Amino acid sequence: MSAPASNGLLQVRDLTVAFGRHAPVVRGLDLDVAPGQRLGIIGESGSGKTVTALAIMGLLPDNARVTGSIRLDGQELVGLSDRQLSRVRGDTMSMIFQEPMTALDPTMTAGRQVAEAFRLHRDRDAGRARSAVLEMLGAVGFDDPARIADSYPHQLSGGQRQRVVTAMALVNRPELVICDEPTTALDVTVQATVLRVLDEVLDAVGAGCLFISHDLAVVSQLCSDVVVMLDGEAVERGTADRVFNEPQHPYAAGLVATARLDLLEPGTRLPTVADHVRGAR
Amino acid sequence: MSLFEVEHLTRVYATGRRRVLALDDVSLTVERGQRLGIVGESGSGKSTLIRLMASLDKPTSGTVRFDGRVVSGVPERDLGFLRASVQLVLQDPRSSLNPRMRVGSIVAEPLRSPLIRRERRQVDQRARVREVLDAVGLPADSADRYPHEFSGGQRQRIAIARALAPSPEVLIADEAVSALDVSVRAQVLNLLMGLVDDLGLTLLFVSHDLAVVRHVCPDAVVMQAGRIVESGPTQRLFSAPEHPYTARLVAAIPAFRSRS
Repeated sequence: MSAPASNGLLQVRDLTVAFGRHAPVVRGLDLDVAPGQRLGIIGESGSGKTVTALAIMGLLPDNARVTGSIRLDGQELVGLSDRQLSRVRGDTMSMIFQEPMTALDPTMTAGRQVAEAFRLHRDRDAGRARSAVLEMLGAVGFDDPARIADSYPHQLSGGQRQRVVTAMALVNRPELVICDEPTTALDVTVQATVLRVLDEVLDAVGAGCLFISHDLAVVSQLCSDVVVMLDGEAVERGTADRVFNEPQHPYAAGLVATARLDLLEPGTRLPTVADHVRGAR
Repeated sequence: MSLFEVEHLTRVYATGRRRVLALDDVSLTVERGQRLGIVGESGSGKSTLIRLMASLDKPTSGTVRFDGRVVSGVPERDLGFLRASVQLVLQDPRSSLNPRMRVGSIVAEPLRSPLIRRERRQVDQRARVREVLDAVGLPADSADRYPHEFSGGQRQRIAIARALAPSPEVLIADEAVSALDVSVRAQVLNLLMGLVDDLGLTLLFVSHDLAVVRHVCPDAVVMQAGRIVESGPTQRLFSAPEHPYTARLVAAIPAFRSRS
């Protein structure tokens, strides 16, 4: 293996995660994200995508055994205490989850929740927090940030909630944003809006991104590079263009073929992963 | 005569003082052997429409005819012909299969229904279960196992086998592949399309995924806020949408983007 590059934002080396006495669900994974780079992780349920994200965020439950190395800005995260990690989380790195309703506290206004992240890590002053919050809510595409800030989550639509969560994740201008299926629960027209907003604010903040999705087309829109995971291992990696147009690994080729409905004659038999991988499920 | 004739169907859900107009004066016909896609976003009325067509719910006003007979607002005891002819496959096989029943008994359940038995010739239930399990590509010994022993895709095959058991004419698939991984989705769609062809079924395919609908259904209706805003050949809806909402929906489908 080549020596770790010194200019990386995130370097994951030989990451292995196991729960209790079960076999590892992530095995010997290496990942690199450069500053401002967007890396997509694709794979099916159970391939280890989400566990990888949670391991990087330090959000795995106590029975998880994590070995290997996760370096963010040169700082080793594996083995840090929860207290040390919570200084990094929400500040240098943040996460956007699939379901905005569970990520938001129903008893607090949207504005207070975005402000909480800001005051915890940046500036305790409520007035300055308020203006940072309104600015961020404007950046995620709200025309009326003040009204949104004073709304409770139940008063907002699914797409509005996911944009509030995006504002929370980006208010501290993190260097790395981890997105785990951020638009999977949304309708297509809403998904299109949220993806456009995410694309714009990641650019504006200059944040790197680890973008997890089972939807290859969504990944192709947002990410420059891609890793394909299967059973806890990376089986293919490369630029999004290369992986989506000339996948090398049989499983990756099968995954791409099944996702490209747009290339097929309607009504014809769909290609399956099993066409590419002998003995696949 | 069309297989389904839906006329001015309206459904209002009233809870306390709140009234929700879930379906607003919808008319629609489905021909025998047609594969019709019903697309729209959450809350557009897709599921309400098919629930009324399968007479699982009563309309506030309007009628549904199946094979020339009114089925809306008809008491359950008179619906045997509909239950035998129209079967559903739902989104989540985890919640649509009883975890305490063996697969054989799940698949045979429609055959045990007294309503359906009045309509269909007596069949050897065990033989029929073997037949439909085979048709969906599950091994014969699946009948003695429980749903939790199967993967998500296999469970959806069990749900399809159950739907096929009474030899229906119409299959209604409500987001039947939405909860599945793409590779499994492809297999289940291939199975579904093959069965519809081989058995000459009529298919009502409800989905929020337009790319899938374009592949499976030659015709489609687009729903928004309880109304059908546009209908026609699926290819035309994609290439030349007339209603602005259809155009928005088509434009929002994530496309593969090339960066080079």
